[in-house]
Amino acid sequence: MLAYTIYLSFAGALILALFPKALQSSARVFALLVALAGLAIALIGFIQAGSSGTVIVADAVWVPALGIRYTLTADGISRVLVLLTGIAAVAGILFSWNIGEKEGDRANEFFAFFLALIGGVYGVFLAADLFLFFVFYEIAIVPKYFLIAIWGSTRREYGAMKLALYSFAGSAMVLIGLLAAYTVSGSHTMNLQAMAQYSFPIHFQMWAFPLIFVGFAILAGMWPFHTWAPTGHVAAPTAASMLLAGVVMKLGAYGCLRVAMTVFPHGLDPWGFSILGLTSWRMVFALLAAIGIVYGAAVALVQNDFKFVIGYSSVSHMGLVLLGLMTLTQIGLDGAVLQMFSHGILAGLLFATVGRIVYERTHTRDLGVLSRLHLGKTMPFAAVLFVIAGMASMGLPGFSGFIAEVQVLIGAWRAFPWFAAVAGVGIVVGVAYTWRAMQRAFFSEATVSTASSGTAHEEHEPYAPVTWAEKAGVALLVGTSLIIGIFPRVLLDVITPAVHALPELLVKGGRL
Amino acid sequence: MIPASWYLILSAVLFSLGVIGFLIKRSLITVFMSIELMLNAVNLSFVTFAHQWHSVKGQIFVFFVMMVAAAEAAVGLAIIIAIFRARATLNVDQVDLMKL
Amino acid sequence: MNTFAVNYGNLFSITIPETILEVVSLLVLVVDLGFLRKSTQPARMTAACVLGVIGSVLAGLWLLTHSGTASFAGDALVLNSLVAAAQIGILLLTALVLLLSFQAEFSRNPGEYVAIVLLATTGMMLVAAARDLLVIFVALELLSLSLYVLAAFAKSSALSSEAALKYYLFGGMSAALMLFGFSYLYGLTGTTNLNGIAVSLASQGLSPLVVVAMVLVAAGLGFKVAAVPFHLWAPDTYQGAPAPVAALIASGSKVASFAVLVAVTGSLIPAASASRGATWIVLLVWMAGASILLGNLAALAQTSVRRLLAYSAIAHAGYMLLGIAANTPQSGAAVFYYALTYALTTVGAFGVIAVVERNMGSDRFDAFAGLSRRNPLLAASMLIFLLSLAGIPPLVGFWAKFNLFAAVLRAPGVGAWGLGMVIFALAASAVSLYYYLQVLKRVYVVPAMTDEPMAVSALEQLVLLVIALLVALLGIFPSALSGWIPLG
Repeated sequence: MLAYTIYLSFAGALILALFPKALQSSARVFALLVALAGLAIALIGFIQAGSSGTVIVADAVWVPALGIRYTLTADGISRVLVLLTGIAAVAGILFSWNIGEKEGDRANEFFAFFLALIGGVYGVFLAADLFLFFVFYEIAIVPKYFLIAIWGSTRREYGAMKLALYSFAGSAMVLIGLLAAYTVSGSHTMNLQAMAQYSFPIHFQMWAFPLIFVGFAILAGMWPFHTWAPTGHVAAPTAASMLLAGVVMKLGAYGCLRVAMTVFPHGLDPWGFSILGLTSWRMVFALLAAIGIVYGAAVALVQNDFKFVIGYSSVSHMGLVLLGLMTLTQIGLDGAVLQMFSHGILAGLLFATVGRIVYERTHTRDLGVLSRLHLGKTMPFAAVLFVIAGMASMGLPGFSGFIAEVQVLIGAWRAFPWFAAVAGVGIVVGVAYTWRAMQRAFFSEATVSTASSGTAHEEHEPYAPVTWAEKAGVALLVGTSLIIGIFPRVLLDVITPAVHALPELLVKGGRL
Repeated sequence: MIPASWYLILSAVLFSLGVIGFLIKRSLITVFMSIELMLNAVNLSFVTFAHQWHSVKGQIFVFFVMMVAAAEAAVGLAIIIAIFRARATLNVDQVDLMKL
Repeated sequence: MNTFAVNYGNLFSITIPETILEVVSLLVLVVDLGFLRKSTQPARMTAACVLGVIGSVLAGLWLLTHSGTASFAGDALVLNSLVAAAQIGILLLTALVLLLSFQAEFSRNPGEYVAIVLLATTGMMLVAAARDLLVIFVALELLSLSLYVLAAFAKSSALSSEAALKYYLFGGMSAALMLFGFSYLYGLTGTTNLNGIAVSLASQGLSPLVVVAMVLVAAGLGFKVAAVPFHLWAPDTYQGAPAPVAALIASGSKVASFAVLVAVTGSLIPAASASRGATWIVLLVWMAGASILLGNLAALAQTSVRRLLAYSAIAHAGYMLLGIAANTPQSGAAVFYYALTYALTTVGAFGVIAVVERNMGSDRFDAFAGLSRRNPLLAASMLIFLLSLAGIPPLVGFWAKFNLFAAVLRAPGVGAWGLGMVIFALAASAVSLYYYLQVLKRVYVVPAMTDEPMAVSALEQLVLLVIALLVALLGIFPSALSGWIPLG
């Protein structure tokens, strides 16, 4: 059943690619239908499976000579992330509803690339064969380049190329690791479960693990490999930034967990010596994650471009995911997965508010300029929305972010208290930058050097009303975040058994 | 009786002269003749080895080399003529429409 | 083994496909010069190309229906499933090149053009089957001489004759080097048969003469596959030669050359003696490393798509050389798979370039600007070709690369260099995405200078779509070819 999320998206992309140009105004309707169907399937799959274990979705011989099978399975983590992808896809299309209104929008191509990206993401979350995983992973990378380079804004070609090269460099590292693992195991299977049971030599795991982990973590925005993320987010069109922050960065974190950590769990073991106080890869990556949390938040605090604020906040939030992974405790991993879901929703909401609702009407993202526009009064919908999204993103109780962050921090506290403290500082800074952005963009009292701006304000026509598509997208995202915030068990009941079923080493890590 | 190695040394010397000519000469015709010189050095070496092994194969090889060299000369001269028509020069350094 | 007892019936029976091509090539000349002299230029081109395609298809059908193994004159020519696969691939590539030549306007002598293309194809097929130094030499020269002529075929273009001259000079030089190497191999072993050489070399030590012979042979074959440092001709020839000819040089000729390189490697590295093998392998690995490095770096600086493809071809040759150096049956098959699929993709890419050149008069990046709006199908084909060359799944280029590198890593004797070179190659191929995206950026992102559609004939469009579909479908079903070329 869940496999149809993939097929539908790819079929939709193909049909849209062949759509006649004359029909470009209906491309968005078609794309929305496809995305809704995908979401429906994801939801049905999510509900049907309940808290049961791994569900086999599809299994067929693919490349027998290399022992590669077309195997799709869905455990709790996959099902949660597939659901996230469905929601992000629908929201993304709703927030790009204006594409296709004008001649030369190239709406057919836009939605074709969009659906191809979505199809690849679904595939990654479901793949149970390492090669299938990798194939879908790369399929998801290519459309991003075109989405950003063609429909993006600030320095779009630079941002798109940087993102493509970073992603591809990361996937080259992953491919090296996979090839080496395939050779070392000498077995003729690429199944993730089977690979996880093969005990690779420790010294092999010691270099293969960091290689693959970093390869994936590049896409997850791990400091210091995060620099593609802010430029990419800023350059991307709204829908693409939503997907980028919402699901594509999750691909990286998911790959870290599903491939690097599951197949090479001993890569996390202590080295037996210490460099600068670091004694294992686990500690190195936890440190990088903690730095990422604080660094992302600190840089977000001084940005003047509204979208850069959100872009760096993504780096900070993804740092929490990686920190959660490195705790190697049940609660930390639960929190990491939940944080993936939560950040996927909230980052989408923030980018939609900033990139679509505000920018499309004011045509500026400069906080300095915005502070003079009194958006709190002229655009109350956006103001309220950003307050909600900002609160949720700060980790206010009642929203999904809160439970996730608390779980990660508890897990981190048990494993490495110092890093947990650092992460806590990062979260406090997160409150500060959200507050600052909110204040400057919407509620600034900066009554401006009298004459000139006063006239500018009077001359200004009222902003275009909020469209139904925007409202629907907002309702979807805010609703999801609230539901998860109030009833976290909806997801946790699914995630917890799945995390528990991971190789024992990954949940018995304990204190460093 | 002259030992076989002398022939081989001669062949190697001729071949090296051909390579040097190919590398340092600037006239197309000379470069072209350097290639022919190399092929003839090869022939000498084949004949010597054929004599050493008392095998006719090397000599057969020589006939094929000569035949191919003739065909190569025909093609090469045709190309040189085409170049001369297009550029009115036979200097290698001036055939430089395409560069990195 | 009396090699002089030539059984001509046997010879004929295993060279029937080549014979068909020869006959058709003469027929093309007769028809074109005898009957169609008064016809219009396009009609003559069409007639000649149709005949040529029919000839290739007939030869291919013969190979398809007469599988099996055979050999002639003590293995001077062999026919087995891998050779047949290479030959069928070569015939397919030739047919595609001819199909893409219908609109070509570079020549006023279509009969000669098609006849020489068929002769070149004959040469390629013989090269792929040859297992004797003499046959290898003659077949390679048949191939090379035909290609020199073809490269110069646009007589009114100064670029074309310059391309031919560079190709010819470097080709003649490297042929002489290779021959000199052959003469030493003959002198050391007393035979010209590859099997005989293998047996005889296995029983002697590593003398300086063997090393000299290997270096010289490597130079000659390195030229054919455009490996650094024997690559100097490639960019200029790819840029200056008429587009279909460049496609042929980049595709069929590559397949044939890699086929012979695999055969020669098998004979120069006798299983028994690793030490001598090491010399040859060291040569190949150095050539591979230099090709990967220089090809990818130089491609970054190009603004002409043809030159870009030439440098990328050098890089791809480097990847394939790694597979040859691994020297296992699996890696040999992987090289075949790589060469065939790479050649198919390249023919497609040159097909697109030919259309763009005809419309815009240039193959510079600017000429491709806005292609996706002027002809979406053409743009989509180019997208598939270039992404496949970059090795992006699920296109066939990815599987070829994966299969090749897996075979290299699994080869027993590659411990010292295997992993390092594969890491290097994969890192370089990550870089290569940059320049492929430079082209695709023009195609999809940059606005078009004009809005008028890019004129393309229905046939060209169809052929390019078929190639693109093949590249995509072979990527989704990589095992489809395993009947001929085993994967893994």
